[in-house]
Amino acid sequence: MASNVVTRFMEKHAALSGKPHRVRSSAEAADAIADILAAIGAQRVALANLSQELSAAIERTLSGKVLELRKEPFPASTLPHAIDDCQAGITGMAFGIAQTATLAEIAVNDAQRLVSALPRTHIGIVHAKDVVETLEDAAPLLRSIFQQNPSNCTVSFISGPSRTGDIELKLTLGVHGPGEQHAIIIEE
Amino acid sequence: MADVHQAALKARIVKALEEPKHSAALLRCMQRGRDNRARALTELPGGADFRGTVKAVKDRCIEHQVELVNRFIANAEARGTRVFCARNGQEAIDYVLKLASDRKAKVIAKSKSLTTEEIEINDPLIEAGLKVIETDLGELIIQLVHEKPYHLVFPSVHKMAADVAKIFAKETGTEVSEDIPSIMKVVRAYLRPIFLNADIGMTGANVGIAENGCIVIETNEGNGRLVSSIGDCHVCVMGIEKIVDTIEDAMLMVLAHPVSASGQLPTTYVTWMGGRSPLGEGESRGPRESHIILLDNGRRSTRDDVAMRESLNCIRCGACMNVCPTYGVVGGHVFGHIYPGPIGIPWTAQVHGLENAGAFASLCISCGLCKEICPAEIDMPMMIAEVKRRFAVEHGFAKAERTMMGADGFAALGSAMAPIANRMIQSKTARKVMRATLGIDERRALPPFTHQTFKKWFHARKRVSQESKRRVAFFVDVFANHNRPDLGQSAVELLERLGCEVALPEQRSSGYPFIAYGNLDKAREVATFNIARLAPFAKDGYDIVATEPTAAYCLKSAYLTLLHSSNDSEFVAGRSHEFFEYLIDFDTGTTEFPSLKGRRFGFHISCHQRPLGAGHGAVEWIRRHGGEVKIIETGTCCGMGGTFGLKSGPLGYDLSMAVGKPLFDLFNQSGVDAILTESSVCAIQLREGTGLPVYHPLELLAQ
Repeated sequence: MASNVVTRFMEKHAALSGKPHRVRSSAEAADAIADILAAIGAQRVALANLSQELSAAIERTLSGKVLELRKEPFPASTLPHAIDDCQAGITGMAFGIAQTATLAEIAVNDAQRLVSALPRTHIGIVHAKDVVETLEDAAPLLRSIFQQNPSNCTVSFISGPSRTGDIELKLTLGVHGPGEQHAIIIEE
Repeated sequence: MADVHQAALKARIVKALEEPKHSAALLRCMQRGRDNRARALTELPGGADFRGTVKAVKDRCIEHQVELVNRFIANAEARGTRVFCARNGQEAIDYVLKLASDRKAKVIAKSKSLTTEEIEINDPLIEAGLKVIETDLGELIIQLVHEKPYHLVFPSVHKMAADVAKIFAKETGTEVSEDIPSIMKVVRAYLRPIFLNADIGMTGANVGIAENGCIVIETNEGNGRLVSSIGDCHVCVMGIEKIVDTIEDAMLMVLAHPVSASGQLPTTYVTWMGGRSPLGEGESRGPRESHIILLDNGRRSTRDDVAMRESLNCIRCGACMNVCPTYGVVGGHVFGHIYPGPIGIPWTAQVHGLENAGAFASLCISCGLCKEICPAEIDMPMMIAEVKRRFAVEHGFAKAERTMMGADGFAALGSAMAPIANRMIQSKTARKVMRATLGIDERRALPPFTHQTFKKWFHARKRVSQESKRRVAFFVDVFANHNRPDLGQSAVELLERLGCEVALPEQRSSGYPFIAYGNLDKAREVATFNIARLAPFAKDGYDIVATEPTAAYCLKSAYLTLLHSSNDSEFVAGRSHEFFEYLIDFDTGTTEFPSLKGRRFGFHISCHQRPLGAGHGAVEWIRRHGGEVKIIETGTCCGMGGTFGLKSGPLGYDLSMAVGKPLFDLFNQSGVDAILTESSVCAIQLREGTGLPVYHPLELLAQ
């Protein structure tokens, strides 16, 4: 059942010019990330919203492969430039929606939003068990997120790369946000 | 008076007709929007049924608006957001000016917001010394050339890549190649420092949620995310009608909006923003603030205005402009004030005043297609008729409009004096006089009148009594009565051959021109008359049948609105049928009738027929009788718009032919022998535009 949801997510994501990857563990996720970063030659990479386990796996794998990993906490005085300066941003996602190939990101600090918004490449990581079928299924999830964060909280739905059709209606990727958007789905 | 007002509009239409490149780009955009929407609907479990759900949610939220606004404010403030209620644009502008001055702000980065367009906030901010930059690419392009949006969703659709390259070359002082990827690189580099250094980020909101005080911002480019996160101060300007009750309501809007706008579900980025977050940790760069300006600007009075209230259901998807025939030719600079397109007419009337709306309302030809595509099922044609009515109270009706609304009496006179009238409509001199006195274009071939009207024929003929299986009350419109009684005769004879007893209740012609030109008092009078005469037949078990699509549309839809869904109007609507939709249930194709084998027809769907089965009955009937028939369509109107194309000049014949051109081309390239359509006025237009023979399907009976 879960894998069907993942398949649907991946098909839709690819149709939206996204790049989906299915992996079996945090370690495999880190390997996939290393390959993506190597392909684009990223030297400075920002990380946000990741579990301890994922963060550790990524740091281990990328050690020596990239020049600099920038992690939370981001000093306020260096923002937004410290993130804009990165070629790739890697963020953990709260849940996914298969119907629309949406990755949902929870941010209680806007620096987390910038990691998925400023660099040219964004890699979002979600666990297969957190992928729901439809937008409708996402409503109760949103409700509980906002109840758990009664002061400030922003949830961002990200469905593929930044796009525009404003010139001659021709689809163009990456006008402001990432032109390359990866979804890594971990099935454990 | 009204003619004077229309003179300015006519001049703008003439100018737009001289720019066919803009119209071609716009028509491509509209076609793409419709195709993508249709494709997206196949991915929705309920298909087009989501429209009813959206309408129900919007109706409920507008009904409970006062309570929802209060709850939204309380919940947004609980999240630390400051909420300001602006009664009008000036109050909103003053609030932002003060904010900018208090914060010593220099740069405001904006993401696309029609509400800030509505109140024209940019100019006063720029005059106060602020740098205000639109970051949505389309909005930026038009900002740089000081224009207004050409289309709601694609504001710069009339600018080609070469134009855009020139605009950015001038702005950046560098050379910009004309290919889109190169332009994008320039745009990204141009806007990046603005995003990074903005003191204030200003956005609109697609939805506000009462339940938790969140706003929802939908974008595809991602500019909304940057504008709402980097600057230490975020200002959101939103109309109060955007507030819904629950997250589920908001989710529906998040889906309905892009499905209708661009065929996406949903937009690439949907930001659910609840309160203001810090940016980074430790040493702060200053306090982070979030402000929401809730704008009234005529919305509360619109809610109290029964005829206009439904316009608050608009979710700003732009679907209505993707199907509007005249908008496609003249574009949003002519067909709009600030809000363009069909919904732009009632919205302009409510927020920018009746005078501004009246200046372009007569571009609406009342085809009704906007209502059929609107995700919230807003009855735009009737609302626009009401705007026309209010404008006419001040300024009267234009000459040609008076003629068209008097068509009934004119036709009666034509029939009474048929030989003379028919010589007149053939005479060049007489036609010039008719243009000057009646506003009818002399280039338009008018159908001849017959001395014996359908009604006279019906009452004079001998009826053979027979046992009837069905009882039919026939509803005839002005044209079928005075110009083509043969069609009504064929219909009646065919129904009788198939075992129906046919009655002709006392009736007036449908009166649709009164709706089209905004004489709603007259329209209501006609509707009341006809419903009073038809209801007893309907209650007695008669089925009511009309051969003219517009007449059937009146019975099934327009009269209901005019009479506020009175019991009798509901009863009549429930028993009314478009002729072939009715016939197809029991005419199995076995009636004696010349076979249509070997003949190839192209079928034209008249606009008013679209909600009545879209010609399915007629097409099926032709096929059952051996004819080959395919529907040929652009998805919009043939341009005739009822009587619109009979009127002289730019606000009539010229515009009507320009609208029809793409459809004429399709018919001429299709290789069909003849065109079939059930609408008498579409037939005039298609005959003239294509040079092909045009028939009503009933005419084939006689051939």
